[in-house]
Amino acid sequence: QGIIWDSHSHESWSLSPEEFEIWDRLYRIKESDGIKEPVLPRVQFETLENLEETPFGLQRPQEGAARELSLSEWSIWQNQPLPTSLVDHSDRCHLFISAMQMMELMRHQQGDCSYEQELQPHLRMEDVNIPGNKRHLSMANPP
Amino acid sequence: GRGRCVTRLKAAVHYTVGCLCEEVEEDKDVQFSKQSIAAISDITFRQCEIFAKDLEMFARHAKRTTVTTEDVKLLARRSNSLLKYITQKSEELASNNMEQKEKK
Repeated sequence: QGIIWDSHSHESWSLSPEEFEIWDRLYRIKESDGIKEPVLPRVQFETLENLEETPFGLQRPQEGAARELSLSEWSIWQNQPLPTSLVDHSDRCHLFISAMQMMELMRHQQGDCSYEQELQPHLRMEDVNIPGNKRHLSMANPP
Repeated sequence: GRGRCVTRLKAAVHYTVGCLCEEVEEDKDVQFSKQSIAAISDITFRQCEIFAKDLEMFARHAKRTTVTTEDVKLLARRSNSLLKYITQKSEELASNNMEQKEKK
């Protein structure tokens, strides 16, 4: 880091020639590295018309040349809060952890569902907006 | 008490989620296990808490005490597709409200 900040051209937004040389040598992913460029998965909605959404205006690498970072392949690790450094877990994050815990508990349940059995006696039909027998809860329809 | 109220709310959410999942089942020819419906309903319930807090903050940020559709649109800001859908719905609602007022 010292090297980077000692440079004289660091006021510019882009890398100085020295910084570029360091980036190119140490961090830039090249074909000879034999590893794929990491990319984040794209937002996709099953029930909506999907617009082109490329975060940060990045160009997508060619199919197969990239490794899409997975948010689900380590799901069995996610039923507990993982260590933090400077940023605490948010409410949103705790929601996720408790949902993963709940799913872990229900994983081996067959047929009857304890969640349903606990709640069913408390259901009051006046709370649910469903006229008659035929329900009119409209699903999201793409235009 | 509050605990009872929360349980009643959870039951209503669970029932409605069940109905929506049933529609998806018919539409897409898939089956949801009871456990997956329970998980969706629990996540929905907790997501409401997060939405409520965010909406309150967005309104307060604009020095309002009433949540408006502009605050709701901010919940969808991360996705252009979702934002477009919500904005369309909001415009539909607004024009329906106008018609209703004109009838009166």
